[in-house]
Amino acid sequence: MTVSVMIVDDHPMWRDGVARDLSEHGFDVRATAADVDSAVRIAGTVTPDVVLMDLNLGEQSGVEAIRAITGDLADTRVLVLSASGEHTDVLEAVKAGASGYLVKSASVAELVDAVRRTADGDPVFTAGLAGMVLGEYRRMAETPGSGEPPPQLTEREQDVLRFVAKGLTARQIADRLVISHRTVENHVQSTLRKLQLHNRVELTRYAIEHGLDRERE
Amino acid sequence: MSTTSEPHLRDPATPLWLGTVVLRWITLAFALGAIIVHLGEYRNIQLTWAGFAAMVVWTVVTTLTFSRERYRWTVLVVADVVITCGIMMLSPLALSEEQFAATAPLVTTVWASVAPLTAGARFGAVGGGLAGLIVGVATGTARGEFDLDVARDGVLLFASGLVIGIAAMTARKSQAALARAMRTEAATAERERLARSIHDSVLQVLARVRRRGGELGGEAAELAQLAGEQEIALRALVTSEPTGPSGSDADLRAALGVLATSRVQVSGPACEVRLPSNTVTELVAAVKEALSNVDKHAGEGAKAWVLLEELTNEIVLTVRDDGPGIPEGRLEAAAAEGHIGVAQSIRGRLAQLGGTAKLDTAPGAGTEWEMHIPRPANRRRTAR
Repeated sequence: MTVSVMIVDDHPMWRDGVARDLSEHGFDVRATAADVDSAVRIAGTVTPDVVLMDLNLGEQSGVEAIRAITGDLADTRVLVLSASGEHTDVLEAVKAGASGYLVKSASVAELVDAVRRTADGDPVFTAGLAGMVLGEYRRMAETPGSGEPPPQLTEREQDVLRFVAKGLTARQIADRLVISHRTVENHVQSTLRKLQLHNRVELTRYAIEHGLDRERE
Repeated sequence: MSTTSEPHLRDPATPLWLGTVVLRWITLAFALGAIIVHLGEYRNIQLTWAGFAAMVVWTVVTTLTFSRERYRWTVLVVADVVITCGIMMLSPLALSEEQFAATAPLVTTVWASVAPLTAGARFGAVGGGLAGLIVGVATGTARGEFDLDVARDGVLLFASGLVIGIAAMTARKSQAALARAMRTEAATAERERLARSIHDSVLQVLARVRRRGGELGGEAAELAQLAGEQEIALRALVTSEPTGPSGSDADLRAALGVLATSRVQVSGPACEVRLPSNTVTELVAAVKEALSNVDKHAGEGAKAWVLLEELTNEIVLTVRDDGPGIPEGRLEAAAAEGHIGVAQSIRGRLAQLGGTAKLDTAPGAGTEWEMHIPRPANRRRTAR
C-alpha cells in the first residue's frame, strides 16, 4: 500500500525538494504546510500516514503541531526532519509524540528508509536522539517533580539506548546482546512510549491543577 | 569595549546625593535654632551670623550643584569639607568661655556632619570615612580639647561617612553588574536572531547542496562534502554558547558539539553539562586526541561517535569508531619504543582530573575509549 506523506517546513526550496525525492520513491505526497495552524488543519483533513515535520517554522515551533496532530489522529505518525543541534526542541518534539528524528543532512536513501519505518510504526532513532533520551531519563530521576513519579529505564533498555547513542545499528546491538533485532526495536520503542505517556500525564495534571480543563468547556 | 557606546545610566548614588541636600537644609534650620537659643551668650554675635550666612550660601550652592549629576565635581566635594571645617574654626572667636565650658554647639552644629556624607557618596567608603575623621579633628581643634564628647562626635562622623560610602559603592557595583547582564542579554538576543536567520537561509541551502551533491557523486560529491563540513561548523558556531572567562563554568556539551563533522556524531543530554572550564578544556582535548587517532588509524571511511553522559556521581565520555581496531600488542610495542602515544596522553589528562580512561579494542571491532571523571558535588545539573 502506498504510504501517504505530508511535509511541514517553512522553507519552500526544502519542501519542494523533499516532496520530489519522496514522490520519486513511490510515496504519495498529499499535502504540504508552512506553519503550525495550517499543518494541524490540513493534517486533520488529509490524515496522512506520516507527517514530516521541521521544528523551526519561522517564529513558531513545530512541537505544538506535533502535540495536536498525534493527539487527534491515532494513525498518523510524525517524523521530525530537522537541522541537527536543536537539542531541546528535538527532545520536546519526541516527548510531544513524534516517533522519530532525522537530520536534514541525511541522504535520500536514509530519508526514504526512515519514512518507511515510521509508517510501519518503528521508531527512527539517531545516536543524537538516543543520547538526549538517556539524558532526559537521568534528569527526571534527579529532579523529581511533585506529581507522578518519573518513568525509569530498565537495565536492558538503558544498555540498548547507550549502544544506539554510540552509533551501533539495531543489527549490531542484537548481536552484542544476543537478542533478536525485533526485541531491540521494541526496547527503543518502549523508552519513547514511557516518555510520551509521562509527558501527557504531566500536562493533564498541570491543566487540571490550573483549571485549564474547565475553561475549554 | 568603548565606554562611549554604552547607554548613559543614571548615577546609582543619586538618591544618596539628594538625601544629603535635604539633610543640609534640615541641619541648617537646626543651626539657626541653636543660635537663637544661645543668642545672649555669644562672645561675637556678628561673627556668628557671618558664619551662619556662609552656611546658607554654601547650602544653596551645594543644593544647586549636587542635585544635578554633572555638577558633582570632585573639587566641590573637597571644597565642601574645607569650607565646613573653615566655618567651624570661627567658633573659638565667636563662642564665649561659658559656652565652651557648657559644651554648647559650635557655629556649624550638626550641619557639619553633611560634608562627610557627601564625600562618602562621591568617593566611597575610604573617602567618606576620611572626611569624617577630618571634620572630627576639626571639631576637637575648634573646641581646643579632645575629650569624650569630641571623640564620640568623631566616631559618629567617621562611621556615617563610611556607611554612606559603602552604600554608594554597593549601588555602583550593582548597577555595573546590571549593565553587564543587560549587555549579555542583548548579545544573546542578537545571537539568536543571527542563528535563526542563518538557519533559515545558509544552513538550509548547505544541507541541500550536501545531500544532492552526495547523490550525484564524483566532483559534486566532493563539493557536497565541503558544504557538509561548513554546515556542521556553522551550526556548531551558532548553537554553542560563548565561552566564559577562564576559572568560570563552561558547558561541556556545547564544547563537544563543535567537534561534530560529517564523520563524527556527538550525542549527549539536551540540557547543559556545566563543569569548571579547565575541566571542559581538558576533556575536549582528550576527545580530540581520540578522534585524531580515528583519522590516522581507522581509515578514510571510518565514522566516529562521541557520547556524553552525566550520571549521578560521574561524567562518562565515550568515543567509538567503526574502524578496523588496533591489533593486540601495538600500543605496548609503541610504548616500549619510547613513543609517548596518544593513549598515554589521554590517560594522563584524565588522571589529572581524577578520572580514568579505558581503551577497548579488538581487530575488526573498532576502538572505544571510555573516560570517567567524578562529577563535582556542587555542580548539579541545571534544569532546563
